[in-house]
Amino acid sequence: MVALLLYSTVAYTQDYNFDTSKIPEKLVKNANSIIRFENVAIDIKSQKEMIIKIEKAITIYNKLASNYEDIIIFHDKGTVIKSVKAYVYNSEGKEIKKIKKSDLNDYSASGTNLYTDNRVLYYNYVPTTYPFTIHYSYEIKTSNTAFINPWLPIESYRQSVQKSVYSLKYPSNINIRKSERNFTNYNIEVAKETNKISYKLENIAAVELEPYAPPFKNFMPNVKFGVNKFNLEGINGEANNWEEFGKWYYENLLQSTFDLPEVTKQEVKNLTENTNSPIEKAKIIYNYVQDKVRYISVQVGIGGFKPMLASEVDDLSYGDCKALSNYTKTLLDAVGVESNYTVIYGGPEKRNIDNEFLSVQGNHVILNIPTKKGDLWLECTSQKTPFADIGGFTDDRDALVITPEGGKIKHTRIYKDSENYKKISGKYVLNNEGSIKADINMISSGTQFVNHLSYEGKTEKELDKLYKEFWSNINNVTIENIAIRNNKKIGEFEESVKFGAENYGVITGERMIFPINAFNVTNNIPKRINNRKMPIEVARGFLNIDEVEVELPINYEIETISNDYEIECEFGIYKLSIEKLSESKLKYKREFLFKNGLYPKEYYDEYREFWRKIAKNDKSKIVLIKKNI
Amino acid sequence: MKKILLVILAMAFIKIGYSQDYKFGKVSKKELEEQFYPLDSLANAAYLYKKRRRYVRLEARQLKLITNVHVRLKVYKKEGFNWSTININLLGQGAHTSENAYKFKAATYNLVNGVVEKTKLDKKDIFLEQKSDFLKVKKFTMPNVKEGSVLEWTYEIQSPYISNMDDILVQHKIPVKKLEEKVELLGWFNFNKRQKGYYPFKIHQSTKTNPSFQIANQVIEVLEENIPALKSEPYVNNMSNYAAALQFEVASIQAPDINMFQNFATSWEEIAKNALKSPSFGEQLNNTEHLEDDLKKLKLELTTTSAKIIAALEYVKSKIKWNGNFGQYCEKGIKKAFTEGAGNVADINLTLVAVLRELGLTAYPVLTSTRSNGIPLVPTVKGFNYVVVVVNTIEGKVLLDASEKYSLPNVLPLRALNWKGTIVSNNTNVDFVDLTSPIISNVEYNINYKIDEKGFIEGMNRKKYENLKAINYRNEKSNLDENELISTIEQDYNDIKILDFRLLNLDKISLPIIEMYKFEKEEGVEFIGDKMYFTPMLFAAINENPFKLEEREYPIDFGTPWQKKITSIIEIPKDYKIESLPEDIAVGMREELGEFIYSIKTDGNKIILQALIKINKGLVTANFYQEIKSFYKMIVDKSTEKIILTNKQHIR
Repeated sequence: MVALLLYSTVAYTQDYNFDTSKIPEKLVKNANSIIRFENVAIDIKSQKEMIIKIEKAITIYNKLASNYEDIIIFHDKGTVIKSVKAYVYNSEGKEIKKIKKSDLNDYSASGTNLYTDNRVLYYNYVPTTYPFTIHYSYEIKTSNTAFINPWLPIESYRQSVQKSVYSLKYPSNINIRKSERNFTNYNIEVAKETNKISYKLENIAAVELEPYAPPFKNFMPNVKFGVNKFNLEGINGEANNWEEFGKWYYENLLQSTFDLPEVTKQEVKNLTENTNSPIEKAKIIYNYVQDKVRYISVQVGIGGFKPMLASEVDDLSYGDCKALSNYTKTLLDAVGVESNYTVIYGGPEKRNIDNEFLSVQGNHVILNIPTKKGDLWLECTSQKTPFADIGGFTDDRDALVITPEGGKIKHTRIYKDSENYKKISGKYVLNNEGSIKADINMISSGTQFVNHLSYEGKTEKELDKLYKEFWSNINNVTIENIAIRNNKKIGEFEESVKFGAENYGVITGERMIFPINAFNVTNNIPKRINNRKMPIEVARGFLNIDEVEVELPINYEIETISNDYEIECEFGIYKLSIEKLSESKLKYKREFLFKNGLYPKEYYDEYREFWRKIAKNDKSKIVLIKKNI
Repeated sequence: MKKILLVILAMAFIKIGYSQDYKFGKVSKKELEEQFYPLDSLANAAYLYKKRRRYVRLEARQLKLITNVHVRLKVYKKEGFNWSTININLLGQGAHTSENAYKFKAATYNLVNGVVEKTKLDKKDIFLEQKSDFLKVKKFTMPNVKEGSVLEWTYEIQSPYISNMDDILVQHKIPVKKLEEKVELLGWFNFNKRQKGYYPFKIHQSTKTNPSFQIANQVIEVLEENIPALKSEPYVNNMSNYAAALQFEVASIQAPDINMFQNFATSWEEIAKNALKSPSFGEQLNNTEHLEDDLKKLKLELTTTSAKIIAALEYVKSKIKWNGNFGQYCEKGIKKAFTEGAGNVADINLTLVAVLRELGLTAYPVLTSTRSNGIPLVPTVKGFNYVVVVVNTIEGKVLLDASEKYSLPNVLPLRALNWKGTIVSNNTNVDFVDLTSPIISNVEYNINYKIDEKGFIEGMNRKKYENLKAINYRNEKSNLDENELISTIEQDYNDIKILDFRLLNLDKISLPIIEMYKFEKEEGVEFIGDKMYFTPMLFAAINENPFKLEEREYPIDFGTPWQKKITSIIEIPKDYKIESLPEDIAVGMREELGEFIYSIKTDGNKIILQALIKINKGLVTANFYQEIKSFYKMIVDKSTEKIILTNKQHIR
């Protein structure tokens, strides 16, 4: 079998001709890069040994595909890298460079972590001309069988694939699981043999990126694999369902870390003794943690999966998402509130833990508190987020909740569009020269809570600049006063700003013209797309309400006020109304409910139109004319 | 000697004058109680004490540069927590050529119910990360950090690179209450010092005998108090250029004990001479064998000087691609860079010098510094990190840079446009060449359009990009396909619809880029009452003043002089007449810094608009800030001013 595999690999290399003129025109169109072939062969020898062979040739057409020029091989203490070979060919297919393993540099992969033992072998090829083809192969031996390379034949937009082959071989005492996604529109050859499965896909043309499209991997074919008996950084595991997996996780990675010192236990008991409500207790604990700790990431060996000891976090007052969630859990345990360590994919893109597919997943940890009224979710790495208000980083997705009895998949908090609100209230006074004095309050909540959260703690000079940029539709701004308050208790972020601006009203002859809506102006209309291919996804909605009084200059009277406007459709509701309080005072109200949703691609023109109308009405003008005195 | 004694005595006096004890571990309750930094209440953190002493010592029979660091830092707010993580870069590979850090001591101090609580940093929480083959990083983060904590740490670095003296950074992103920097330079080395930044500080100099070697050490001290934080401002090309600091560089070595004499950089002449002698600079210029075949062809084909210059530039560009690295010296050598097809800036531009010389032209390498590297005001080797090329022709000097794919003779990329370059030649006197380009970066719009009764606009735009603007355009847009380019323009230009798009000269880099297209816009005007309002410049209008701050300390950096020209012919609907037009305006700035001209006239049912914005300098000093700001204000006001048309039918 091994010989056969080897034979087929050799055959590939010889069959291939890297002359770019031989690539079918269909694949070249719209492509920044073309995977000429990719051959991934994975051989699980045992629970503790896996060999991965990768051979890949990719033609790069321009610098927008420059991240595919690089050879990147991640490794750690448990891996051995062998037989690294790489060649570069020019557009005629002539070899122009040979790269040896010693040409690759070994770097730490720490990124934003304080420390990690993950490393990367890296080679950066500098192209002289495009197109060219880089062809490389290497072999990795690893003891980690908990993660098996998935098959992702098409990695990105504007990338075509000439041929992609994947095979997975496994011993008979191990069962594999797989999750095949988005196969329907592709002609994928699947070959199943005893203890081996393979996939092949050929000649896929590049896909273009369209705005407001669903995430790429939601529609691209991919297969993920897992095994029932695995090894994770030296620890053996066996699981056939989420329950077993969760139990294994709890017993091997969590249980031994709950060593909270007695002093701290007593301290938090004292803090919570005045209430019997578990939610109130949890709030006190959450506050306690937020005041005590900060986020610092250290990942060493199994520490990439196993939290730091609770006693250590107690001592050092820092930790990563695992450590801080786990620490919070032990504190909650100490005061008798049930909570569960929860593994999740964090990020603005709502990515689920794949329920159908049992394996080590996720990139983040939060905490789950089951209550009579439903589940609460705590983000333990932030010192600023309100209690049980996870926001857009972990909302609305499936997560793996690990309990002592085992694991279960639960869905995190879904924010209603109207919960994600931003309310602006206040007034501005327009004078005879066209200058305004504005005094406004802005309150943000839900997924909008974080919009300006980073403003907290900024210096006066920085804030001055930030608010001028935030209201970039207004020129010549002079900020007079800024007050910011994170009202964590009720989950609202409050900002009040006083400023002046010259020439807001434009004087043309006898008239003064000014846009009535000063503080919330839509500028970006989604770009025009001919022949859209992807559906439209609005992942999160919001509700913005502005209510502002406007005082008019004494030397002018109203000539024209634009009509009230309202549009309501599947994408949302927008209303702009102007009320005349007196001859010299107006009040406008702008209400915009933007709904989340998934719409068929045919709706795109309508979607653009919706935004176009909003953008237009956001700029509605009032015309004043000089009084005859 | 007496003077020195006096200085020392004076210093001792100052020290006694202090109530605060800066000995390690002597953190006071007062420091812990402090709620905010008294001189900057918004500071998230501050260095209460920052001390560094550097000297040379014999360590295991090897000369080592010893650095002793002692820092006391106060964290006032959560946002200042990131100051509690410390990274120490250690260079080198192998036991005798590596830097190492020792003698760590660190602790966090908190005030808990009025009692000072100390949490020590555990050795196991100090990490050593092998970042790459030549770089290790010692990392640690302080334990138990809270708002109000005082952190203190100390360590020693031993380095075999005894002449590699880091800058004394006087100004930091957070305020410094007390700074004590002391450098004892071994008498063998003669160092050049360069003071930079806007914040003034004093340099104390003295001499002292080194006990290990019995030679006089040069002692340099910077002792400052209450140094404000360096705060960033927009439109500054590199903020750290303006941080107050003292830079060192070895000018010469005179070590009779080890029989070593060498001059590095005492004058511009020395720098040029040393560069010429260097195997990775001057000597490279003679390695031209690998170019000979190609040169023979070029020699046959070319006759005029300008043709030779252009051909040589394009030839080198096509053969060696920039690998993204700067450098005053060759990274690979011109031959290896040629065979590999890639190299650093020196590899490429020294190849260009060699090629030009072979073609019979007078060409020299020019040492320069990129904008991110700062400005070399005094003779310095470290100050240079870039090489361009100068050719002397009858018409004058021509500057070239083959590392930039889209560069032209005298049109260099932004990164190289920095102050002056030093010409490396055999001449006894060193020549300089001005790099701030006089060549104007130009954009021109020709927008002709027609408005109908319903406010529908259709027209034609021809937009031209020249010089630096064209380089930028080619770098940013040449990879976009046409559809993408069109929809980007459509979006940027307020949702116009583009038809019949044509793009000229994208590949002909010696010519300006021209975009030409028809466009349509629905509801391009506003109807209020019976009147039609619109801004005549349409999408070419400048709607936002980029200068928003009230004041500015640092220069305004445009890169090169530039201009924007807008010509527009507008046909208005028949049923409408002009009620109001913006007034003409023509203003100039002081010292011919810039001008703005806006003129509008009518011709039947046509309106003709001409506007010009021009800035005559690439770098404008901060004292012009208010003027530039109000200049822009005028431009924004004018370009957003509306034309008002009235419907003739409705006239009462």
